[in-house]
Amino acid sequence: MLAAILAPIIIVVVIIVILLIAAIAIYNGIISLRNRIDNAWSQIDVQLRKRYDLIPNLVETVKGYAAHEKETLEKVIKARNMGIDATTVEDQSKAENMITGTLKSLFAVSEQYPDLKADQHFTRLMEELNGIEGNIAFARQFYNDSVLQYNTKIQTFPGNIFAGRFGFTPRQYFEIEEPQAKEPVKVQF
Amino acid sequence: MFENIASNRRKTVLIIILFIAFITAFGFAIGYYLDYRFGISSGYSIIVMIFAFILAVILSFGSYYYSDKIVLQITGARQVSKEEQPRLYYMVEGLSMAAGLPMPKIYVLEEPGMNAFATGRNPSNSVVALTRGLINNLDDNELKGVIAHELSHIKNYDILLGAIIIVLVGMVTIISNIIFRSFIFGGGRRSSSKSTGGGIFNIIFLVIGLALIILSPIIAMIIRLAVSRQREYLADSNGALITRYPAGLANALKKINIYSEVKKANNATEHMFIASPFGKETKSFFSGLFNTHPPVSERIKRLEHMSLQIGIKSDEEIMADMRHIK
Repeated sequence: MLAAILAPIIIVVVIIVILLIAAIAIYNGIISLRNRIDNAWSQIDVQLRKRYDLIPNLVETVKGYAAHEKETLEKVIKARNMGIDATTVEDQSKAENMITGTLKSLFAVSEQYPDLKADQHFTRLMEELNGIEGNIAFARQFYNDSVLQYNTKIQTFPGNIFAGRFGFTPRQYFEIEEPQAKEPVKVQF
Repeated sequence: MFENIASNRRKTVLIIILFIAFITAFGFAIGYYLDYRFGISSGYSIIVMIFAFILAVILSFGSYYYSDKIVLQITGARQVSKEEQPRLYYMVEGLSMAAGLPMPKIYVLEEPGMNAFATGRNPSNSVVALTRGLINNLDDNELKGVIAHELSHIKNYDILLGAIIIVLVGMVTIISNIIFRSFIFGGGRRSSSKSTGGGIFNIIFLVIGLALIILSPIIAMIIRLAVSRQREYLADSNGALITRYPAGLANALKKINIYSEVKKANNATEHMFIASPFGKETKSFFSGLFNTHPPVSERIKRLEHMSLQIGIKSDEEIMADMRHIK
């Protein structure tokens, strides 16, 4: 008699416990994915800062040899300042695409100045900028992979149940918009 | 991937337990011998066994923390800085970001052969080591492929297992040799003993001796089973996922297959290299069973399949790239 009353209660309790554990696992999964995105973003940020620090140096060096390429140099500086001021992922990726584009035209211009190309300081700067450029591409790849996983998780069942309740919103990809920015900067010495 | 990490952790723990059990048993055997010499009631067997157990635990912890340094010492690798190798530095930095790993330290082996390995106890304390020949003969895409393969080993915790195996199994092998020799050279004196205990004692030592004769190939088997060849395929495909360019690693393996000898490598360290450091593998079925690495041709085939043949270099192009060496 007692068993007949208790059995359904026990079953219901067990089911609730299982559902609770599953819910906690899903919630924690979403949180760790979101943290991974933040971590990936901070890695991109580190690389971007490095690039911002190198650009004034580069501009100064180029000025010494090619002072009348003022327009190109100004564009580079402007793009850099845009990148520093950017607050959203969208603005940041726009600014970065611009920096990559302007640096490319700066490198193209430098081709006409053999003295500049022979400058050791310039060569080293170019080497570093190329390395950072590649690193940004890899960091962006990891960031976008993480965003893809996170967005998929919160938009598909059962993650979408939590998304509404706990305010998980889809994150933005770090995109390459301008077609000329898709190619990595190539330098020939 | 997470199952792979868990399985590697399990294997590491298993190897450590086996090691502690072996050393403890060895201590007991020495104690038993001393008891036999100085009288059964002297209790040496227990004392030496406890001492051996404590020593084994210390050695295990030591090998957990220092195995990577020991491995680097054995292979004679040297750390390089960003200034020395900017190309390499930026590649490793970028690829570890793409893999979501902290940046490993970079080591170079001054060897003309093309090979590479990774070691360390966890991703935060890891090392990627490349030979000079590899750096000189591979183009950027190929080198990235190899580095990404090594980073996958780091991510899968293959490195911890590999390094622990080298140190602990190496120690067991040395101890086995010592016992085995003392058994051979000391056997005559012991058999002349007239006490009845001597008979039992001789039998026990005979058993230990026989066990050790069987043990060496078993140790070799443990290494080969623990570092399953499957993980090389896994690291290949994970590596290709990091670079998004499977052809890079495929071309690199083609070159490595031509000349992969590493002089400083030995049987204990063989399994951690990207390709066998003893040069081209033999084709016979039997020796194939005991290879630590899957056939390179099969790995290349899988990568070519992944790359949809895009970017794969022909044999002629590989040879043209390689012309300037040797």
